[in-house]
Parts: sequence; structure tokens; C-alpha cells
Amino acid sequence: MTNTSNRLQSLRDSSVSRRNFVIGSGAAAVGGAALLAACGDDETAPAATTTAAAPATTAAAETGVGTTTLGSNYSDANPKAALAAAVAATGVDTEINTIDHNTYQDNFNTYVQQPDDVMAWFAGYRMRAFASKGVVGDISDVWDNLDGMSGAFRSASSGLDGNQYFVPLYFYPWAVHYRKSLFADNGYDIPANWDEFKALCDTMEADGLIPLCAANDGRWPQMGMFDMLNLRINGYDFHVSLMGGREDWEDARVQNVFSTWEEILPYYQPDANGRTWQDAANNLGDKSAGMYLLGTFVVSNFDREAQADIIDDIDFFLFPEVNPEHGQDAIEAPIDGFMMAAEPANEAGAKALLTGLGSVEAIDAYLSVDPAVVAANSNADTSGYNALQRKSAEAVATASYIAQFLDRDTDPDFAANVVGVGIADFLATPGSIGTILADIEAKKQTFTFE
Amino acid sequence: MSGTVVAAPPSAKRRGPRVKPMRLLLYAFLTVMALAWLVPVGTAVYNSFRYWEADTQPNGAFSLPETLTLDNYRDAWNVGEMAKTFGNTAFIVIPALFFTLLLAAIVAYACTRYSWKFNIAFLVLFTAGNLMPQQVLFQPLFQFFKRMPWPDILSDTDTGSLLGTKIAVILIHVAFQVGFCTFVLSNYMKTIPKEIDEAAAVDGAGVWRRFFKIILPLTRPALAALGTLEFTWLYNDFFWGAVLLNRGDERPITSSIAVLNGQWASDFNLIAAASILIALPTLVVYLILQKQFISGLTLGASKG
Repeated sequence: MTNTSNRLQSLRDSSVSRRNFVIGSGAAAVGGAALLAACGDDETAPAATTTAAAPATTAAAETGVGTTTLGSNYSDANPKAALAAAVAATGVDTEINTIDHNTYQDNFNTYVQQPDDVMAWFAGYRMRAFASKGVVGDISDVWDNLDGMSGAFRSASSGLDGNQYFVPLYFYPWAVHYRKSLFADNGYDIPANWDEFKALCDTMEADGLIPLCAANDGRWPQMGMFDMLNLRINGYDFHVSLMGGREDWEDARVQNVFSTWEEILPYYQPDANGRTWQDAANNLGDKSAGMYLLGTFVVSNFDREAQADIIDDIDFFLFPEVNPEHGQDAIEAPIDGFMMAAEPANEAGAKALLTGLGSVEAIDAYLSVDPAVVAANSNADTSGYNALQRKSAEAVATASYIAQFLDRDTDPDFAANVVGVGIADFLATPGSIGTILADIEAKKQTFTFE
Repeated sequence: MSGTVVAAPPSAKRRGPRVKPMRLLLYAFLTVMALAWLVPVGTAVYNSFRYWEADTQPNGAFSLPETLTLDNYRDAWNVGEMAKTFGNTAFIVIPALFFTLLLAAIVAYACTRYSWKFNIAFLVLFTAGNLMPQQVLFQPLFQFFKRMPWPDILSDTDTGSLLGTKIAVILIHVAFQVGFCTFVLSNYMKTIPKEIDEAAAVDGAGVWRRFFKIILPLTRPALAALGTLEFTWLYNDFFWGAVLLNRGDERPITSSIAVLNGQWASDFNLIAAASILIALPTLVVYLILQKQFISGLTLGASKG
């Protein structure tokens, strides 16, 4: 922990000096080199990093790309500083326009009509929706210069026409979180399949614990449970097809997801619909509850210094196998990254910036300031990873399929106003699932899924 | 005479005990209601002085504090970049308020002092504008602003069109608020005797002179009341600032709270501190102009 925070501090200092230097000199290439040199006080940053950065930064300087603008929803203090460091690492002279996370997301339709050159956004369906409307630019040529991005990331960054419209920065997987000490003290084993999972819930209940933390305030946390069950029971292909509006929600396979879900509802914290994910995370933290299916951001609920013992004690396991046919082949890992405006004011600058943001230097700089996520670039420096990050990277690397999360994999309005409401109703009255699914199917007809 | 004097005290005494339980009940009810209304505000104020992760979150909002601090206020000011967003709000609200009141007063004067063909229709049009939900006009206005070229010299930011400038927000505020202000001001101006105008006209005062030197000063109470109300409304606007201004650092003060709302975890004590800081200017304006504000609430209610 001390190591990390020292590193963090040195990065913060160096990023500031670099930024000022770039502004002062206007010579982006030199600025980039100076910054990277400043990072070099950590022996884990090899000399190769510095040279690798050279092509991107030199290119920026040679073409005289000028100032580029970047629309950012990284409005929390840590991600904001981390993004500034990542942008500085690209060496492209960039003006960052930070807008608070929720407003940015909610108003993206209007924002994209008066966009910055480069815009922070999400991979998968939510990117494709804008790509197919022609409001974001084709950056396939940027991908020619990207190194270290796996095929899964490439396809998550591709539009329906097969071209790339997105550069991934990082991701965070969803999994079942637990406290290692609680499992060790009580002799619990990691459940590999559905029966073991339910048996563990029974044991926990007998031990006086709440087996499963459950929150659904905002109507999105429980979408994760639906996704996982659907992926495990019906497989990735069916899930994508269902999200794409091509399957019937009253289908027996969807019914099966909910009836399987109903089997574990007795182990849920009661009244999940009214609980924020943070409140539920507190129950995981104080060991009154045993397991919590959530994104790895669950650790951000705890204070990095005062509650470091809890953070270090949190581990996760992949959602157990339900249907042997699909095993644990899919994982849910939302990817965040960047798109380019359809007609950027400074296209050369935008592409230089995107190339830079996809590079290993940018994500290394990002992670050194905000080590809560996992690099999309497989060449990223993982030496600073904590156990949870290392495990996240491994889980995603070994997964055959990566889903993005329900509200990113389908029409966002359909997700929020139809499926989200349906899931909340199901949690309140599981018995009425028949009418709930009929209702979802009926409302689905009003969406085009294009 | 003396008989009635003697009879009065006993009857008052008889009435006393009969009224008291009801009165007690009334006071109890009012006290409970007043406290119930104060709880949310009081809790926000109280917790804005406490740490979130170390204190309020584990111990609950109603627990005794472990430590009291002003850190939340400092952080809210810095993280929310309030110096900048307060400046943006002032840039929008002050001109918007000035032009709203000026234009509304001019329309109200014309509609109440002069008889012409579309007198009533005009007033109805302005009043009807109040009933229009602003969001309905969002798309047309957005597209209009986007296509409206605007010289950089007349704008606070260089976007090439009206879209993305604070000028656009000011224009919208003026357009929407003029309706209500015209309605209120015309009702008030009707109470000013026409003879004053006529006397001035006989003495040779022109229309502008009568308006600025005679009618406007007499309308001052209504203008003060409207100023207070309109200030609060314009100040609290989040919608237009958020959808028309695409740069985070151009947005008004209301966006500062949104910034403090975290992506995953929110520090609610920090948000409480920010809310209090942001509410202060409206509170100050209200306290200074309290008398006008209350009379302002009933301004449109009675026709003079």
C-alpha cells in the first residue's frame, strides 16, 4: 500500500510538471519525453517505455496537430487526475472539457451535436448506436497503429459495419465479491456451480449471515444478476440476441432465468429495491453479509486509508456455472474508452490523441494515479496491480465472451425504463413474473434497436 | 351597563377551559409539523460539518458527531469549482433579470396605457406563455441555436453559432420569463391612476419620459418583488445550462452539485455542504427583500 501511494504521489507530481512543461514549451514531443523520464524514478517503468512513446509524440509534433479538445465524464477527483495524466502521456496538446458523469451520460444526445474532437464513451451497443447514426467518426486507421489490443476489444470497438469507432482505455469486471477472512474463518469454499452456490447460501444463513447483499437503488445494480444468470443459463449468443431485441421476452428460456433467480431470492437482503449499492457494500464490509455480485468498483465504497484492511480483504470469484453447456465462458466487463466526433475541428489531433490514449503509456499513467480499474491494453504495466486487479485481468483474458452490462448492451431507454422497471417489479413480487415479461415484450415493440 | 361588565368575566372564564385543549392540540400539531419540515434541512446542515466515510456513513446521519469540520465546505468550493460556476451564473442571471424586467415593463406599459386593436390579445399571448412547459420547446430551440451563426465578438465563447454560448441561455430566460413579468406588471400598472399619465402628457412629457420618469418609479414595489422571485428562478435553472452549454466550465452554479455526485460513491456530506453554499445567495436575497417577496406572492392574485 505504501509503495503504491508513493508511486501515486510521484506520478501526480510528475504529471503536473509535465503538463506545465508542455503548455510552456509547445514542443509536445519533448514534453512527453520529459514526463516519461520523470516517471522513470520507478524502476518498474523500463527504458523501453520512453522509446515506445517517441513515435506517437513525434508524430504529433511533426504534423503540427495543434490543440485538440477532449470531452470527459471523468468528473470524480481520482479519475479526473488520472485522465489528465493519461492525456499528458500522449504528448498531444489537449484541452479537457470535464462534465459531471451523470449529466454527460444523460445529455449525450445533445452533447454529440456540439461535440469535442474526442469524447469519452462506452464500448459495445452504446457506441454502435451512435456509429450507425453517423455522429461519430470512423477511426479504423487509428487501430492500425494500436498495439496490445486483443480481438475481443477490437470487436467491442467495432460498429455494425465492421469499422472501428472506439478506443478502449480500461474495464472493470463484475463478479461475486466476498471477504477472504470471513470465508477462511468459517471454512467456506468457493462454489463452482449453482448447487454449491445455493448450499453455501444455506450454510451462511445457518451461521446467522445474510448470504447475498442486494441493492437496486437506481434500478441498475440487479441488472447484473439478470445478465449473469442469462449468460450462464442461455449463453452469450442468446444474451446478445435478446439485448438486440431479436428474442421474445416471454420465451421459456427467459422464464427459466427468472425462475432460477427466484431460487436465490430467499437469500437476498430484504427490500433490495430501496437500497443503494453502497449501503449493501457496508454489509459486506462489516461481515454481516457474505457475498455481493457487483463490479469491482465495490472497493471504492471504502476509504483507501482508513479502511485499507477491508479493501485488501475483498476478493471475488466468477459467477458459478449453472448450465454445463456454457460453464463460466462469459464475463461481464464494461469497457470505457473514447470516440471521435464525425467532423472534428482538428482531425489529425483527434487521431493522434486517440492513438496515444490507446497506447500503453497512457493507461500506465492513468493506472498510476487511479489504480481502481484494469488496463484494456494487454502490454500495460501490471506490476502495480493489486491482487484484485490482477485477478480481473486474468478473468477477462480467459473469458471467451465479454458482455458490457445490460444498460450498455441494449437501447439505454429500453434498459432503464422497461427492463429495469421489470426487474424491480420482479424483486418486489416474484410471483407476477408472467405479467412482467408480457409487459416487457409489449413495450419492446416500441423500440427499434438500431 | 354595569351588568354586562360584571357578566363578561365569567363568560370569558367559561370559554377559557373549553378552548384550551383544542389550542394545545393545535400548538402540538404545528410544532410537530414545523419540526418535521426542519428535519431534512437541519440534518443536511448538521452533517455538512461531519466527515462522511469516517463518521456519517458508519454511524448514521442522526448520530452524535465524532469530529466537526469545515473541510466539506472547502472541498465543495474547490472540487465543484464554485468560484467559476458562481461567475457563470452571475454572467447569465444579472443580464437576464435586467432585460426581463425592462422588456416586461415596456410591454405592460403599452398594454395598460394605450387602447389599440390587439391590446387584450397581446396580453393573453404573454400570459399564455406562462403555461408552456419549457422542455417542449427544447428541440426546436436547440436546432435553431445550432444553425444561427453568431459572431464571436458578441459571444463569451467561440462556437461559431449561438449554441454553446451563455448568450443563448440568457435569451431563453428572457423569452420565457417576460410572459409572467408582463402579466404581473400590467396588473400592477392598472392600479396607477391614468390621470397621472395624462397630467404629464399635458405638461409636454413624451412617451419615454412618462415611462421612465413617472410610471417605472411608481412600479418599484412590483419590480422589487418580481426581481426577488425571478432571481430565485433563474438562479436555480439547471436544464438550459446543461443542455445548451457543452463545456463543463461554462455551466452555472447548479452544475456544481452534479459534479460532486460521484460516478460510483457519493459523499453526501460534501453535497450537503455544496447545497448550503449554493442556497446562500438566494437566502440572502430573500432575507433582504423579504417584505417584497411576500407581497410578490400575491401580486398577480388580485386585479387592481
